[in-house]
This record gives sequence, structure tokens and C-alpha cells, in this order.
Amino acid sequence: MALSTRIILINALLFAAGTAVLAFSPATVSARPLLSEVVVLGVGLAVIVSANAFLVRGTLQPLERLVGELDRTRASDPMARVTVASGGIAGRLATAVNDLLGRIEGGQRGEQLATLAGQEAERSRIAQELHDGVGQSLTALLLDLGNLADGEDAPDPQRLARARETARASLDEVRAVARQLRPHVLEDLGLRSALVALTTDLFAGDATHVDRGIAPGLPDLDETTELVVFRVAQEALTNVARHASAATVTLTLGRRGSWVELEVADDGVGIPAGADGTGLRGMRERASLVDGRLEVGRRDGGGTVVRLGVPVAP
Amino acid sequence: MKSPARILLVDDHALVRRGVRMILDQQPDLTVVAEAGDGAEAVAVARETAVDLVVLDVAMPRMTGLEAARQLSRRPEAPRILMLSMHDNEQYFFESLRAGASGYVLKSAADRDLVDACRAALRGESFLYPDTERALVRDYLERLRRGESLPRAVLTDREVEVVKLVAEGHPSREIARLLTISVRTVERHRENILGKLGMRDRTELTRYAIRVGLIEP
Repeated sequence: MALSTRIILINALLFAAGTAVLAFSPATVSARPLLSEVVVLGVGLAVIVSANAFLVRGTLQPLERLVGELDRTRASDPMARVTVASGGIAGRLATAVNDLLGRIEGGQRGEQLATLAGQEAERSRIAQELHDGVGQSLTALLLDLGNLADGEDAPDPQRLARARETARASLDEVRAVARQLRPHVLEDLGLRSALVALTTDLFAGDATHVDRGIAPGLPDLDETTELVVFRVAQEALTNVARHASAATVTLTLGRRGSWVELEVADDGVGIPAGADGTGLRGMRERASLVDGRLEVGRRDGGGTVVRLGVPVAP
Repeated sequence: MKSPARILLVDDHALVRRGVRMILDQQPDLTVVAEAGDGAEAVAVARETAVDLVVLDVAMPRMTGLEAARQLSRRPEAPRILMLSMHDNEQYFFESLRAGASGYVLKSAADRDLVDACRAALRGESFLYPDTERALVRDYLERLRRGESLPRAVLTDREVEVVKLVAEGHPSREIARLLTISVRTVERHRENILGKLGMRDRTELTRYAIRVGLIEP
């Protein structure tokens, strides 16, 4: 039974009882009430009020208890569940609250798991690169140097040259790994240079032609926003380089009203229908960190467009 | 004999400084007269000690090499500046030029290029970042194709042949084979071409980088 109906019914019942007593009992009230009549009326009123208090409190008390319990639950970490006492309205409310809490926690756990899995995959990739690349070249260098030290008095210039080239190669590998981890060019030279460098890194010596349109005099973005724009561009451009087989990719960055907009468009094969990989999710998450909006769609005439808008102060 | 050029060496890694110093001090025309561990120290040392050339690491704590280069090059009788860097990246090259440096040498190629770059800087020439030459001559050919008038560029026929091969990415050895001339001759042609096209000139290089959108105007 709905809570309001129940309270209305309780009140109606008590009023009906009062009215019945007045109608059918011999009690009368004169035009100028006598003291005895006032006493009788007072007693009747007290009875009705007490009965009302008893019945209404009985109905509402479980709800009040639930409110108290919710406060305690809010303060606890991890969130405890509220106890489901009765089958009444309070019970139903408690069940609903528990269900919501469960869903929120489940969602959070899912996100954390995805983030953790992403981090682990990244770490294992880096470890692999360090191990297979730098580790191997340094081992080779060590062996070469050992050989040179054990050899005749004047070291063989060819072997020396090889050792030098090996050291150079390991430096290049270290640099490549470091660059993936942290875009130093962004910190040192700013977003424009970082975006230009990104296109150069990804498409130099590639069949894909790059068209850059980075408007001059863009408003200063804060560090977090710059990093978001950079990472989204990186993800989008990497996708183009890996999957799109595009003839041309266009990168534009410009201001539109109170937004700074980044657009990466290519004329390649387009994203497969329903694709929503970790890359896309990552871009969305990053965009939402700075209240940005992200659209990913098919470009007219084939290919893909990724558009990111981040708000800037007017 | 002329006295050797005085060099201030700036890098936050003592091991790198030691290695670089060893290479430079072996040359009869170069000598390291002072060292510094960061940009701010470099600016202070350059105030005390007269130097002809500052070799600066791009990335350092306290004051980056780029900022130090800016401050050093603003001085009257500013020393020549050469950047030393881990970053294999054209933007750093052009930003370095704009900050007042004459050249940019990758640390991973320092053993090979550093001495030449120091000498080029002391002569007042830019030491080109690898790949930049190719990008520059490609841009030159493109502008030529579009019919832009390029006043200074009067190349000989042989030089034009070399330019085309450089633009296609052939190394000197290969160009020498293709044109049946010696590698030395190819290198000399390349030098002359860069000079004629104004690509030894810091200001012109910076202008180029701005025009093609590599750095912000």
C-alpha cells in the first residue's frame, strides 16, 4: 500500500471513529459548553491524537531508521549495505538503495580492472622493448668491448667502429622508448611543435601525405588540457598510420567560439562498424577529464574523422 | 698558429661532460676552458669567462639549454652556441636556431658530428640537423616547380642533379656512384648548394621553418 494512502486511511479511520462517537453517544455539547462537557471533549481529543500518533509513527519510523542508516552507510568505506528490515516501503527502499550501490561498485570495479589491464599491457610492452632492444644491443656492446680489451695492442678499427654503432643503436632505442612514454617536446616546445613532431614521427617515409593546419595564436591551454589534446591526436593519428591505409590525413587545430577544436580526418578505409576498442574509450575518458566533447565518425567520401573540442575561457 | 677556440661545456651529466671534453680537447684548434652543470650556471660562467663557443645540452634542470641559449645570445659579443641533444626531432633543431644557436648535434651522433659542428659554429655557419637537408631541398624543388622566383638560387647543372638525388634521399656515397664522381666532390657540391640556397644561414632557416609551419611565428 502506498505511504500516502496509508496515512490518509489512518486519519480517515480516526475521524470516522470520532464522528461516530459524537453521533451515537448520549454526549452533547451545549451552546455554552459546561466544564464537564469540555473535559469529555478534551479526553476524546487526547484519545484521537494518541491513536493517530501511534499509528502514523508506526508507519514512518522504519523510514526514519533507514535515513539514519543511510547516513552511516555514506560515511563508511567501502560502502556498507543497509539492512532490509521489513517488506514495507522502507524495505523496498533499502533493497533499491542496495541494488544501486552494488551497480556503482560493479561499474567502478570494471573501470579499475580495465585501467589496470591497460597499464599492465603497456608496462609489459615497454619491458619487452627494453629487453629485446636496448638489452640485446648493450649485451652485444659488452661482448665487443670485452673482445677488444682481450685482443692485441692496437684494437681493430673495424671492431671499434662496430662497437660505436652498437652503442648508437642502443641510444636510439632508449630514445624511442622514452619518447613513447613522455612527450618531452610538448613540455619543452608546446602543443604546436608536439603535434608537428607527432606527424613527422608517424608518417615520415610513409605513403600517407600529411596536411597540417594549426592556427596561429591559439589561446593558452593548461597543462592537462594540452596533454589531453596531444594524446587524443596521438591515438587518432596512430590509428590512421596503422589501420587506415589513407592517402591523406588532415590535422587541424583551431579555435571555434569558446572551444579549441582538434580534428584528425583521413581518406582511408574507415572504422569498422561497431568498433569501440580501448583506444576509442581512452580518447573518450581523456576528453571527459577536461569537460571536452569527442566525436568519432565516418567521413563523407570514406575514411574517419575524430573531432575533439575542449572548452577555453572566452 | 691561431690560439685554439675557447669552449664552455654545459651538461648536467658529468659523465657526458667528461666524454665530450675528451673529444674536444683532442683537437688542436679547440679547448674546453670551463664547464657548467645547468643553464643558470652556464649564463653565470659565461659572464666571468671569455669563451668563443658554448656547447649546451638542450634539456637540463633549473634552466633549460634553450632558455640559456636565448639569454646568452642576447649579450653583446655573444659567443657562438651549439646545442647537444637527446631528441631526434626537427622542432628542437629549429627552436634552437631561433634561440640563437648555430647548430644542433644529436648525442647519439656526437662522436661523429660534434667536432665538425663546433668548427661550423665557430665559422658562423649552421650545422644542419640530419634529414633537414633533405626536407629543405625538397621544399626548394617544390617552390621551383610552382614557379616561385628564388633570386639567390643559381645552381649549376651538376648541382641541380645533386639536389634532386638528395631530395630522393640518396646518401653521398650513392650519389657519387650514380654521377660517377668522388664522394668528396659530392660533399663539396652539397656544401655549395646549401650555401647558395641560404641554408647555412640561421635567419633563413628559421624563416623556412615558420613558413612551412614547423614552428610558431
